[in-house]
Amino acid sequence: MNVNLIVKSFLTLALAVNINYAWAEDNELNPNITEVKPGDTVKVSRIPGTIYLRTQNDPDDLIWDRLPMYHTNLLTAPPVHQSVKLRFDEGATLSKRIYFQVAQSSERFYIRLRWKDATQDRTTTVDAFRDGVAVQFAINNADTSYMMGSGPKNPVNIWYWRADTDKVADLAAGGFGSTTTLPVQAVSGASSYILDQIPEDNAWHVVMSRPLKVNGKYDVNFQRPIVPMGFAVWQGSDEERDGNKRVTHTWIKLDTGYTTASVSKK
Amino acid sequence: MTVKRQLSMVLDLNKCIGCQTCTAACKLMWTNRNGREHMYWNNVETMPGKGYPKDYQQMGGGFDKDGALRLGRQPSQEDYGIPWEYNYEEALMTGTDPWLRPNVKPTWGANWDEDEGEGDYPNSYYFYLPRLCNHCANPACLAACSRNAIYKRQEDGIVLVDQERCRGYRYCVNACPYKKIYFNEQISKSEKCIFCYPRIEKGLPTACAQQCVGRIRWIGYRDDEAGPIHLLVEKYKVALPLHAEWGTQPNVFYVPPSSPPKIGPNGEELDESRIPLSYLESLFGPRVGEVLETLAEARQLKADGKESELMDTLIGFKHAEMFKLS
Repeated sequence: MNVNLIVKSFLTLALAVNINYAWAEDNELNPNITEVKPGDTVKVSRIPGTIYLRTQNDPDDLIWDRLPMYHTNLLTAPPVHQSVKLRFDEGATLSKRIYFQVAQSSERFYIRLRWKDATQDRTTTVDAFRDGVAVQFAINNADTSYMMGSGPKNPVNIWYWRADTDKVADLAAGGFGSTTTLPVQAVSGASSYILDQIPEDNAWHVVMSRPLKVNGKYDVNFQRPIVPMGFAVWQGSDEERDGNKRVTHTWIKLDTGYTTASVSKK
Repeated sequence: MTVKRQLSMVLDLNKCIGCQTCTAACKLMWTNRNGREHMYWNNVETMPGKGYPKDYQQMGGGFDKDGALRLGRQPSQEDYGIPWEYNYEEALMTGTDPWLRPNVKPTWGANWDEDEGEGDYPNSYYFYLPRLCNHCANPACLAACSRNAIYKRQEDGIVLVDQERCRGYRYCVNACPYKKIYFNEQISKSEKCIFCYPRIEKGLPTACAQQCVGRIRWIGYRDDEAGPIHLLVEKYKVALPLHAEWGTQPNVFYVPPSSPPKIGPNGEELDESRIPLSYLESLFGPRVGEVLETLAEARQLKADGKESELMDTLIGFKHAEMFKLS
């Protein structure tokens, strides 16, 4: 065995170990769950009118077993304020896999999110931080900055679910630091925290939904062909809040099934 | 941060008797309800002591030498002290509980180490240090807020939290090295001393200053050359900020406490003060010795029956002269 071969096999082994580490969750991936990368387009499923949801936002409704599921990786958000930067681990490469499903009935838009979290952080106290998840939609097109929108003319609509109140806040922003609670709160949601044998596999299931009808210029309109969407997850036990979060870097595009023609007809 | 005018307070620690009337006045007015029970926008600490919240001086925050925010430790509920109530109804009215007792086991509170101080007899010592928001010229809380929810009023420099903008991130709580901004768990927002601005706007002093039985507090604008603040801070330079090294430029100043001489092993008076100068310097900076000398001279003038503008001001004959709010 020459030296070259030894080096080569070492490298292969190191690479294998490395890949194994980076993709530790892969072995449990359902092959029917499609991986989505930022920039990809995802079709919004239709919930037929014949299906009646007993509970509007049941995070474990049977319907979710029958709709396509996607997953994408969230990465640490780039810090934009010194308070965030102070708490930003420069070496942070921890990604977070989020599973999502998007659907609409003739009246409502639904999104279901699922992610692993070993700790259930349901309190907001002087020194304890809650878990949270948010989905962000660009009001206009995908030219809008994925980092909280680009100014008042290109805002984003954010649906923020917080674990302490188990409620969803309907927010708008036009750039970081400008997050504002909207006067009409039309988004509702519910969650369940599913325990597993292994705490690391405990998971949050969250459903958020809103009537398709818009209530103002900062409510995202789903009745157009493409709706840019992004996610953020806050890990309470890591004292994450504000810009200390993991996000989708750039938009995932929702294909709503509406054509420009069908929109203009309305 | 430039403002048009800056309100300021001077407290004479030689006159504070630690009665907590200021604390009670503030609490009754602002913090005895609605999630603020653990907050003391004004409190009086025994120094040397751990302070409130416990060991706040070691929690970090403020700015480093380059003017960058320093990350601090987030105080816990235990550091503040968990507020307790008594079972008055059960113990005193219905008689269903034979004991009058608190509903939680108290382990710490805002004035837990009252009068403990340092040193052994006959050289034991302590003094009282009333603390409120310093309404700093360079507020760390303001710099730390990623929401621009904290602002300084142009007309008087009072630092306030816009409750509409605050989203409860608690960066400000961490950043204030004095820990004078508090998180309200009931509303998930931060709150702080508002320098009684509704009173100030009516020409009245803050509740803590109005109620002070020791008459240790002066209030006025920094730029009012005829006012008491200018006289104490600029003219006679006897009022010093607490922990100026934290970089926030406080607008609350303290006249440092003088103390009797230290007693030697044979009962003789030594040529050093009971409260070690080094300790006072660790709080109020290198000018303490100079200030104590100025105070001793002024006091001697009065004792000799001579005039002393400084001592007349520090005596505080009339509230009207202590509070110059226009």
